[in-house]
Amino acid sequence: MPPRPFVRSAPSKVDKRRRVDIRLTHMAAADALWWDARLGPKHASMASRADRYWSWSVLLPLCHLVQRAKRRYCRPLVIWARTDSGRFLRVGMLIVIEAYPYLDIEHPAESHFVWFMSAADAGVLTTEFGMSNPPALGRVLLDSAIVLSQNAGLAGRIGLHAASAGGDGLLALYDRLGLIRLPGTAALPASVRRPNDGRFFYADEPLAEALAAALDASR
Amino acid sequence: MSEFMRLDAKAPATLGAVVEAVTRLSTLGEAKILELVSAGKIAELFPFSTARRDQPIPSDTLAEEELVQASPAPLNRKERDALIESSLPASAPKKSRPRSASKR
Repeated sequence: MPPRPFVRSAPSKVDKRRRVDIRLTHMAAADALWWDARLGPKHASMASRADRYWSWSVLLPLCHLVQRAKRRYCRPLVIWARTDSGRFLRVGMLIVIEAYPYLDIEHPAESHFVWFMSAADAGVLTTEFGMSNPPALGRVLLDSAIVLSQNAGLAGRIGLHAASAGGDGLLALYDRLGLIRLPGTAALPASVRRPNDGRFFYADEPLAEALAAALDASR
Repeated sequence: MSEFMRLDAKAPATLGAVVEAVTRLSTLGEAKILELVSAGKIAELFPFSTARRDQPIPSDTLAEEELVQASPAPLNRKERDALIESSLPASAPKKSRPRSASKR
């Protein structure tokens, strides 16, 4: 069976009837440098953003090397969207850990873990980069991880931790996106090495397939 | 850890310091690292020199045909190694590297 493709369009945040072309590339140092230089200073002033202090130029090699030390691999991706000029602009960043312990220990398995993900601020895209229709990226970011998990034979299972810097707003976002919140009383896989603070989310196989199928028309 | 061989020896992050930092960070869980990064504390734990000052910032936009689109399929070993290598800033050309202090 051919691998499920990534999505190629997403709804505009301004006008939900409009579709914005989306493309995905692997993230290299130059992408991280661009994000840090062009979007980082804008995001740093937004107190509600969990990623306001993230330096992708540091995160990118860090994630690769820390996971290699744990004998795992990362898949860092950049999401690009078509601007009014017809050219593509970086609008999202994502680092996924492959073959990570599945958070639901009642069903021991591997999953993909969404370690870091950011969507560029829509207002900045419009005012600074001439993008009249910035795309809604929450579902695209999660879908990318689900597709990688499915194509790797992990049935779409994914997990993530909502950074506490994102507050209740980030929890609400992952709820809205349809993820399952791991109960705060649930035990975590031993290798996760952290007490459960109630901010872990995951998608099991049926949920992952439902979320992916919902975007199949956009692939 | 051959990736480190491309680091500039004059950069703030020496090979030894980076290896030590990676070793220390690998004892932490991913959620803990996420929290440290989000609190703006990662520079204290991972003294990696990022871009050289003279490194040009890439252009804001690319044409569709310039994008090398990512495969949604699993990568092979060679592709994974290339991905790791691409995460490090390009080395400075030898002629533009500052001389080391010990040679002055």
